[in-house]
Amino acid sequence: MKKLSSISLAAVLAVLAAPAFADELNVVCSNEQDWCDLMASNFEAATGIDVAMVRKSTGETLAQVRAEAGNPKIDVWWGGTGDPHLIAAAEDLTEASGADTSALLPWAVNIAEISSGKTIGIHAGALGIAYNADVLAEKGLKAPACWKDLADPAYKGEIQVANPNSSGTAYTELATLTQLFGEDEAFKLLAEIGANVNQYTKSGSAPSKAAARGETTISIGFMHDMVNLRKSGFPLEIVAPCEGTGYEVGGVSVIKGAKNPDAAKKWVDFVLTAEAQQAGLQVGVYNVPSNSGATLDPDSPDLSSIKLIDYDFATYGASDTRERLLARWDAEVKGAGGAVEE
Amino acid sequence: MKRTAGLWLLIGLAGYALLPWYMVSGGVFSLGWVVDMTGKGAAPAFWQVVTQGKWWLAGPLPAFAAVALVQGFARGQLTAARALVGAAAAGLGLLVAQGLLIPGSAARFGWIAGEGQPGMGAGAAITALALLLILTTGISGLGRGRGDAFVTGLIGLIVALVAIFVFYPVAHVLIRAFELKGGAGYGVSEFLGRFFSANLWGLGCLAGGECGPAVNSLVLGVMTGAGTTALGLAFALIFTRTGFRAKPVLRVLTIIPIITPPFVIGLALILLFGRAGTVTEFFADTFGWEKTRWLYGFGGIYLAQMLSFTPIAFLVLIGVVEGVSPSMEEASQTLDADRWQTFRHVSLPLMRPGLANAFLLGFIESLADFGNPLVLGGNFNVLSTEIYFAIVGAVADPAKAAILSIALLVMTLGAFLVQRRWVGRKSYATVTGKADSGRHAALNPALRWACYLTALPWAAFTAAIYSMIAFGSFVKLWGYDHSFTLEHYIRAFSVSFANGIRFTGSAWDSYFTTLTIAGISAPLTAFVGLATAYLLVRQKFAGKEAFEFSTMLSFAIPGTVIGVAYVMAFNFPPIELTGTSVILIIVFVFRNMPVGVRGGIAAMSQLDRSLDEASIMLGANSFTTARRVIAPLLGPAILAALTYSFVRAITSVSAVIFLVSARHNMATSFIVGRVENGEFGFAIAYSAVLILTMLAAILILQLLIGKRRLRRADRVEA
Amino acid sequence: MLNKTQKGSVRFESVVKSFGEVTALRPLDLDIAPGTLVTLLGPSGCGKTTTLRLIAGLESATEGRILIGGHDVTHLSATYRKVSMVFQSYALFPHMTVIENVAYGLTVKRMPKAEAHARAEEGLEMVGLAGFGKRLPSELSGGQQQRVAVARAIVLEPEVLLLDEPLSNLDAKLRRHVREEIRQIQQRLGLTAVYVTHDQEEAMAVSDRIIVMKNAEIAQEGTPRDLYERPASAFIADFIGDANLLPCEVTGHSADGTFIRLGDDNVILSTAKAPVGSASLVLRPHQVRMSRTPAPGTFAAEVSYAAYLGNQIQYTLTSALGEVFAVVPPGAEPFATGDSVFVGFPSAEVQLVPAVAADQYMTK
Repeated sequence: MKKLSSISLAAVLAVLAAPAFADELNVVCSNEQDWCDLMASNFEAATGIDVAMVRKSTGETLAQVRAEAGNPKIDVWWGGTGDPHLIAAAEDLTEASGADTSALLPWAVNIAEISSGKTIGIHAGALGIAYNADVLAEKGLKAPACWKDLADPAYKGEIQVANPNSSGTAYTELATLTQLFGEDEAFKLLAEIGANVNQYTKSGSAPSKAAARGETTISIGFMHDMVNLRKSGFPLEIVAPCEGTGYEVGGVSVIKGAKNPDAAKKWVDFVLTAEAQQAGLQVGVYNVPSNSGATLDPDSPDLSSIKLIDYDFATYGASDTRERLLARWDAEVKGAGGAVEE
Repeated sequence: MKRTAGLWLLIGLAGYALLPWYMVSGGVFSLGWVVDMTGKGAAPAFWQVVTQGKWWLAGPLPAFAAVALVQGFARGQLTAARALVGAAAAGLGLLVAQGLLIPGSAARFGWIAGEGQPGMGAGAAITALALLLILTTGISGLGRGRGDAFVTGLIGLIVALVAIFVFYPVAHVLIRAFELKGGAGYGVSEFLGRFFSANLWGLGCLAGGECGPAVNSLVLGVMTGAGTTALGLAFALIFTRTGFRAKPVLRVLTIIPIITPPFVIGLALILLFGRAGTVTEFFADTFGWEKTRWLYGFGGIYLAQMLSFTPIAFLVLIGVVEGVSPSMEEASQTLDADRWQTFRHVSLPLMRPGLANAFLLGFIESLADFGNPLVLGGNFNVLSTEIYFAIVGAVADPAKAAILSIALLVMTLGAFLVQRRWVGRKSYATVTGKADSGRHAALNPALRWACYLTALPWAAFTAAIYSMIAFGSFVKLWGYDHSFTLEHYIRAFSVSFANGIRFTGSAWDSYFTTLTIAGISAPLTAFVGLATAYLLVRQKFAGKEAFEFSTMLSFAIPGTVIGVAYVMAFNFPPIELTGTSVILIIVFVFRNMPVGVRGGIAAMSQLDRSLDEASIMLGANSFTTARRVIAPLLGPAILAALTYSFVRAITSVSAVIFLVSARHNMATSFIVGRVENGEFGFAIAYSAVLILTMLAAILILQLLIGKRRLRRADRVEA
Repeated sequence: MLNKTQKGSVRFESVVKSFGEVTALRPLDLDIAPGTLVTLLGPSGCGKTTTLRLIAGLESATEGRILIGGHDVTHLSATYRKVSMVFQSYALFPHMTVIENVAYGLTVKRMPKAEAHARAEEGLEMVGLAGFGKRLPSELSGGQQQRVAVARAIVLEPEVLLLDEPLSNLDAKLRRHVREEIRQIQQRLGLTAVYVTHDQEEAMAVSDRIIVMKNAEIAQEGTPRDLYERPASAFIADFIGDANLLPCEVTGHSADGTFIRLGDDNVILSTAKAPVGSASLVLRPHQVRMSRTPAPGTFAAEVSYAAYLGNQIQYTLTSALGEVFAVVPPGAEPFATGDSVFVGFPSAEVQLVPAVAADQYMTK
């Protein structure tokens, strides 16, 4: 009787004694699933190390890395925007891998220098504007070409953008405009654009998905996400703003106290090679690889054709700048109205 | 008493002296530790004490010795009972102290510096369990719980489990609400200011602005609770009190929404009612209506939550509505009440516990729901999404997450207390030992049509949504390119038959993991939930109300918070579970158990107490009574608990996001990744397969458990 | 084999039961001899059901000791006491057939199913329900369900059989029939039985002894005859059989009996005993003698209500001493409402009990 129930319980408790201690590499991947899978199998083929991989978004990964600090279950964190990687480095949650960065493009090396080698750039993606061509035509609006075009009252209720308090994408946009126009001018522009915004989404990729389906007309986000949607068949047009634009750099970091540090370092070395990076083309990865030797997809937003600003990761990644800008955003942009549902 | 205590003494000693005290690599069932019994890592506690001088593991030894002495020499029931309680409590205390004071890498206090210990394993678990049950057996010997060792043991076990798997982790998160800025320790000064701030409780929406997320959540929760209860009741009445012909179809439609991952409903709603949605386009083209984005905000979330949570209300209510004794309705009719009066004054009041529990569940589900507000929230902020982004957003603010969680808990507690008052202390027992063979009163025509008119359009709506979803999985690009394709299914679930069967589809891994974990956790959840309900309804013990509320805690807190709490609490010794499948099972059991509890309470309060007492008087102990008398009469409640916990284990997203690991990935977190990547067709195809899997599982369960064998003629008046 | 049932005595030693603030039983001492049927009788809330549940083990005593068959069972759970109970609601398990219900207690004791069913069939035979085993409780009448409940309790051969208002759900005719059956079975098996009821007639009919309870304690205990003929208090007199309680004054005693003053008359009662002072005269309705002419020891009254019931005539009389309820045989001289009558009584039969407060004088 009672024995039965407690035996079943005991059985469950007994399984407690089975954590994953096997010799393997635990990777959290914050890229697209297919890209994650491909990289894992390529790595296994190249090194013979058994990869256990799970895909999580950057925010979730950072939260987990924080919660597990001291006894991490993850060895290496690959992909996703650079900001959370930089934060993890600043909070001493990751450690330098000592990987060779000589073959990498300057922006990738820059990230490594800022973080004392704790995170290294693996790819870059530029910020852009997208619009749904069908809806735009239906509404009889003209296509935007510049950041300042978005302030046009004709777009009232047609623009969707993420909330920088929750989305790294939107924070990149905020920082980009600040660097482009100077802080005061940027906030003035953001407030004007804000008057046209129908919704500040929580997630950074949501606005472009909404634009793809015609739920909104115009979105702001990362261009590689837009290319992806466009390739799926949505009538999405992508615009590189005429004033120039900012970009994010995806990172790879080894978690401090990783159980398999050697394998983790091998992973970092591997993902920085040109061969590993350009394999992304097979699964439709449209951001720009950090290894100068990797070839590009013709559909990729060619960073050289886009006017890129000299994005200051050190300043705008620092938490005091971040807090100040976000507080100002809450007061001057969010508080200034907009976010009107028609 | 002595026999039970003796049995547990033997089990405890075996755990202490034969099983590895700490976790061993590969798991205790791999048996690799057997050859390494005396080795450093895998040794049972006894050998570690003897051969390695780890004296701090010796705690349980004197306790076991004392218990053995009691077995051998103590005379008199009371003396023996007191001695057992004392010895076992001391042993448990030492064990817990050992666990908490000597953490993973170095002792928390300097006095055993340099020594560390890994997470506790099978030996520790068995030893602790044995000591706990010796303790409760002793307590029963003191005459508590009417001297029933099963009852005290069950109470002790559930209290211990709730303490370890609910309080301990949740405390880890909530304490951060009181953290002072800059690591200056803890205090209430900042907490009070932030908790009562207008950002949280603002009523700006009354003046045309925005309300605080707490207010939004509260309004949404009350509306959802009331709406789902009303709709659930309408469905339940159609099932039990009318001769509606298409009941099986309706049954499927009432169940299907809970077996749907939440974002799928959100997506379907957007495709129907979004600005570019099918329905919106239709009205725009036909009537020239303006295409609006009304769906994004309160309206959309409310619609999605009604779709998602009505089945829960239905599951709770169907058992209760069935359980109302026909003779009471017949009695009312013989007293010249017409059918409406009978319903209004007899049946409806007797359903009160069901209605109250259905509302409470709807309310709490709405508060903790995260998927729907995320997809459809627009600018309508609710606590659950705010909490999520306070944890994973660009600016992580654990203190804010904790404060918002506390606000959420306050609301849950409030709803819980209101519900208690409303149900009151009346008796709702309608299944007594005096058999009745009456027939349920049919609904009066007005009420019947009211039920039809609310429930049937809703069912049609549900059907439309699911047709959309099925459609979406067979087309190239849902919403744009509607050419037929099987590509999504092939990518997810392809099977290669060359060299034997190989599951080559990318979804198989997470699919099998998910089914295994859901399959293990569902019966455990149902067991823990119904056992708790049994204690709450049938037993009297000190602190019952607090106990009842504590079982609701893990349900009321958003999954994200629970997920982080579990990582924080169970990433380090003494209990190290992260990265295993066990942590997923446990989080499901304790997160979904409240549904079993609520459903069990509602159903059990309809069973007359004299049935249990009769069984006890006939020499059955409480366990046999629970198994042979109560359980068979609780068929629908068991079915509901099993179904729900199985389904929730498959569909829940937020709690598992932090807990899934490479080896143990869950379907939903896999699907969410695809959705984030814009692969809707793939995600929907996978969801569709999950839905069918769950539907099949539910049908099998229903066949196995069947209807409650009340064996009264289950007819409705013509 | 059912006739070898063990006999059990029940003993309470200063047992107290309280539910929080409420005292359900004051210190109670109780002795129930083996093989007897003892009834706990009293108005609702008097503690009789609590006493029964304490014997059963469904409640645990707050203080004191409970012994069954000489063993201390105070801390023993209901499961392990050799006691069976028949519930007011019958508590038949609705999901089991009749035979499964009756065999339940045997099967939980791990008796093989075939044997248990054979024993259960014997039990059903004993209550006259042989062959009903395959039915469901819901297919039986109330009286049959009740008998199943009895069969289920006795097949366990308990030391003590408890019956909690077992007849309250039955109609009057059936009630008499079933109570006789219960009594016969109890006597045949020599069971100790404790029977709870609030119906004094039922109690009188079945009991060896009756324990009358009031306000959480025992008011009086004795054989049915003791209680009826020698009530210790106005409460007992009124509760056991109908009684008119007339205020009187005991003025003295002699060899002939007790002198009382009733209204304006002095009367000698040959058997009643009471100390000098105020008292109440217990006048049973059937003891009332009515005549149209005054005589010594009678008092004047007026007929305020008359009812002809066939086997008897009932009168309600109004007098200076209070209302008097009378029952006379049908052959006696009839009176009409409004008639003046004189009320007398057999002075050798009536009893005296301690006086009750004036406002409690009333007939039922």
